[in-house]
Amino acid sequence: MSEADDRVLLERIAGRDRVAFESFFRLHGAAVHRFVRDLVRDDGLAEELTSDVMVEVWRSAARFGGRSRARTWVFGIAHHKAIDALRKRRATLVPLDALLDAATDLEGPEAAALRADDRRHLDAALGALSAEHRAVLELTYVEGFSQKEIAEIVDCPVATVKTRAFYAKQRLREALGTVERPG
Amino acid sequence: MIEHEIAELLPFYANGTLDAADRARVEAELETCGTCAAELQELQTLAAALRARADDAPPLPEHLLVDALTRITPRPRASASAQRGPWWGTPARYATAAVLVVSVGAAAVAAYRTHEAEVTRESQVAVAGHAQEATRATVFRVQQAPRSAKVAQNADAAAPAPQSVAKQHRLAKTARIEVLVRDVESALARAQATVRSMGGDVTALNDSSPRDAGSVHTAALTVEVPADRLDGALDALAALGAVQTRAIDAEDVDATIVDEEARLRNLQHEEADLRALMDKGGKVGEILTVQQNLSDVRGQIEELQAQHVHDLHRVATSTIAITLSEDRPNGAPAKPGASARIDGAWRSGVSALADTFLAFVTAFVWCVAFAPVPLAAGAVAYAVLRTYRMFGSSASRSPSPR
Repeated sequence: MSEADDRVLLERIAGRDRVAFESFFRLHGAAVHRFVRDLVRDDGLAEELTSDVMVEVWRSAARFGGRSRARTWVFGIAHHKAIDALRKRRATLVPLDALLDAATDLEGPEAAALRADDRRHLDAALGALSAEHRAVLELTYVEGFSQKEIAEIVDCPVATVKTRAFYAKQRLREALGTVERPG
Repeated sequence: MIEHEIAELLPFYANGTLDAADRARVEAELETCGTCAAELQELQTLAAALRARADDAPPLPEHLLVDALTRITPRPRASASAQRGPWWGTPARYATAAVLVVSVGAAAVAAYRTHEAEVTRESQVAVAGHAQEATRATVFRVQQAPRSAKVAQNADAAAPAPQSVAKQHRLAKTARIEVLVRDVESALARAQATVRSMGGDVTALNDSSPRDAGSVHTAALTVEVPADRLDGALDALAALGAVQTRAIDAEDVDATIVDEEARLRNLQHEEADLRALMDKGGKVGEILTVQQNLSDVRGQIEELQAQHVHDLHRVATSTIAITLSEDRPNGAPAKPGASARIDGAWRSGVSALADTFLAFVTAFVWCVAFAPVPLAAGAVAYAVLRTYRMFGSSASRSPSPR
């Protein structure tokens, strides 16, 4: 699905085309759901937010100016809604004990890749990060957005995105207990 | 130690989104800095792990789409509140059909009442003005009905044969017919009887009797007849008098109906899935959510079914707009006024005078034309007389020598 297709879909959604909305949902719903789920780390809330994001797409498709990619725009809505929900909850989402447990299991540097593959550890380590750091990691490595696009999505300067991307990775490494590889 | 600026660019070098200039900078650094290369490798491992984790993420729950679709549907609360009983099976469908029938019936009743009121009012006006009889004194004019519309109609009737082989075309037909009749009232009664005998019905009626001697009595009525009897109905209506206009319009509603059916099927599948979910049971909150979704899907199904029934109805029945007008040449007043009569007398007087004058002139011309005949006759008579006298005098003189 190309960017042009996304734009056509958004235009049709703006014209109240439910079939286009369904297509758009099927194309981007899973990514949005994964993203917000990783941010809020709560399945119920993630589902609620995914629905909210898509309904927002339906409502404001006419306002999508086309200055950025449709995908960037949708992730912007998703990020905003997720951060907002987290703020409202004021939730301390990091179970520190679990994090510490995960960290103590880790041994040598040669096990880093293995550990990263260990889904449970990775989940726990990600949980130790702030939502902002999780967002930037997700957007950079999973969704493959550029610095500029991430700046747009999370609504902050590009310089902040660069710093965040750098520190997010540092924090994740720390959480995974990885030591820096010899250079 | 990695230069901070390069370290910040590395994540975006890893995901391939750097612009050419930054990419060149990072690549130059990577060639000389081992730490940088190690850092990049670590980033790539992390990235792969994060992507693998994303790929293994639980799939998007299907009900989220249903939920979103429900939320973007404008919901007419009236129909939803009417449907609080069992949401499965056909009763709801019957209810939809019943609502449709009742509303059409109500519209027809309302239209008929309006007509009755108008006719009553109009006839009061007519009686007060003693104009009723004047409007009846009309001369029936025989006129050839224009039949050009019939050609199009025949072409239309011939077309479905090849179409039925290739693709079904469901047409919603509407027709229009204007007839000049001697007596609108009796024609109206006959038109209604004809339509009813064909299994049709009158859906709107507007009968306006003339207010003054100058206007004609017209009636407009809208009727619905079974689609397969449209031609027969038009022929019967045409027989009421002289046809002025006869036209049929057909709209292809096949695509709309097919689309409605597809959407209905999808919604019904959704409904079945939701019911299966509900049968599974679960927490009270979940059941309530599913029930809400189910109720919303039901609402959508009913809305769509009502539209579907309406579109099928448009195909099954054809609408005819009939106009009946009293036939009177040029709409001239039937009884001339005093000034018209004086004018007429003057005109006929002048005309008679002219005719008399013309008769005299004609007689004179005839006289002139035939003049040589009596002149010649006179000349002959004169000559005969002279000869007779000459011989007569010589004969009388001849015995004189005695």
